[in-house]
Amino acid sequence: MTALVDAGAPAATRNPPPGTPARTRRRTLRERFPGLALPALVWYAVFMIGPVVAMFVIAFLSWPGMLATPTFAGFDNFATVFSDETFWAATRNSAVQIVVGLPIMIVLAFLLAFYVVQKPRGHRVLRYLLFIPALISAPATAMVFYAMLNPDGLVNGVLRPLGFDGTAWLADPTTALGAIIAVELWSGIGYSAVLIASRLDGVDTEIVSAARIDGADDWRIAWRMYWPIARDFIGVVTMLQFLSMLFNSAQNVLLLTQGGPGTSTTTLAYLIYQKAFVEADLGYSQAVGVILFVIGLLGMGAIRRVLRATH
Amino acid sequence: MARRTTTLPMRDRIGSITSGTLAWIYAALLIVPFYYFIVSSFKDNEQIFESPLSLPTTWDLSNFVTAIDQADLWLAIANSVLTTLAALVLTLVLALPASFALARARGRAGKVVEGVFALGFLIPSFAALFPTFLLAAALGLFHTRTFVVFLLPATALPLSIVILTSFMRTIPRELEEAASMDGATSLQVLRQVYLPICIPGIATVLLLNFLSFWNAYLYPLILIGPDTAQRTIQVALPTLKVDAGTDYGVLMAGTLFTLLPVYLVYTVLQRQMQRALLSGAVKG
Repeated sequence: MTALVDAGAPAATRNPPPGTPARTRRRTLRERFPGLALPALVWYAVFMIGPVVAMFVIAFLSWPGMLATPTFAGFDNFATVFSDETFWAATRNSAVQIVVGLPIMIVLAFLLAFYVVQKPRGHRVLRYLLFIPALISAPATAMVFYAMLNPDGLVNGVLRPLGFDGTAWLADPTTALGAIIAVELWSGIGYSAVLIASRLDGVDTEIVSAARIDGADDWRIAWRMYWPIARDFIGVVTMLQFLSMLFNSAQNVLLLTQGGPGTSTTTLAYLIYQKAFVEADLGYSQAVGVILFVIGLLGMGAIRRVLRATH
Repeated sequence: MARRTTTLPMRDRIGSITSGTLAWIYAALLIVPFYYFIVSSFKDNEQIFESPLSLPTTWDLSNFVTAIDQADLWLAIANSVLTTLAALVLTLVLALPASFALARARGRAGKVVEGVFALGFLIPSFAALFPTFLLAAALGLFHTRTFVVFLLPATALPLSIVILTSFMRTIPRELEEAASMDGATSLQVLRQVYLPICIPGIATVLLLNFLSFWNAYLYPLILIGPDTAQRTIQVALPTLKVDAGTDYGVLMAGTLFTLLPVYLVYTVLQRQMQRALLSGAVKG
């Protein structure tokens, strides 16, 4: 590298003047269009944008199975979807998952992050532990919870001596969705906390100690000082977790309950999977895909509005 | 901390006790499953059900042997290593020149291209799993690792390009101009001037993508399918769960086996990994 830079000066004098305009022209073209970005752009268009566009097309086709010939269906798929009980059950489940799960996750993550940045005893161990869920794959997490939540598993093993009757958490319609949400909280809180802590670390400690001298307690410092400062960043983390809950829940549901019992854990994301790969109702599946896409955008907009920076 | 509690009012003490308790309860909830599944991997079903938290009576590796045997885990690990490595290389081959071009572009086109990649954060690629599956079929690559190797880099491109571009923007233009006066081509400038400076950024991108490629589940499940010769470790692991009569010891042994490579990398590169995970979301 040094050799290159050193060689720069003599090379400039050696070059004849007529060469200069050509090079300038070439450079301006290069600067106007980033040609080296083209392969990545094409790759990205083929493998990412293409399928999403195809999803919008298939949503308007009647396509009752891989081997059938698709025909144009207009809004028929959407009509079928909206008159289907299962779709509404899935919408309810996704709504519960987001409305209950997301605020709990973000508030707990914020409190945890607030605690960690105060550097209490053991904060290094805490930070190390909080990263754990971010490292583990969905199947590994699901298998551990599958073992813990089965009727003879750890959870019931701990509850029974305490005098509580356990249940088959994943097979009981009243607890199955709660169990799925618990798995998501388990893996989401730690990573969110670490992210929020990275933002809170930047808060000026002098203002905080000044507030303490003025008699502000921890609770007030957390919510009146740290929260407003980190609010826009917490908004970003919330969006991240919102999308992950909305879309990635399909994995946990598939691994733990397959949507059951009945439809009690069928989320919208899982419904897309189930209709496409189990029931081969492709138009229906992709219509739900389009609906979920819209819900995703609306949700992001709402989160942005609620957690917009206020200062 | 102890000093502070003695001087502060009651309400504060309660406040910090609650957030502290909360933090350590969560820490326990993170550790207990680990402890449980590690000790379970040395037990049989009866011991797991009878005394879930006790230490195993023997440190016998037969569950591991059964798990590896039953789900062909060595082969699955080999497939995962192959897929992950190939996808990592391909991601860099695509993202490095692109970031280089975007970092140097000054016109509107550059901004537009950057915006297109940034939009990628909004694309719910999962919802489009079925069209992706059709694409694999159309390319004649259905039920092959090859297609997943092609697909995974595409999912990682937005974040990789954002991170690498922001690194390359810090390199002064003069350095590059000096090199190109010497007659160096764009690719030579990229290789000899930009790459050495971008090593930390490349490391971040590699670690982040390593995690997401190694842990990928739904894509490999649908696109590679159940063929034991091709499937990855994440797809192989859940096959140890059987509807009637799962051997939990074997399942947990398999899970432990699956996590080892990630933990190996995390232990060796803990600091870099944490930084990578942080920048992954901050940039996103």
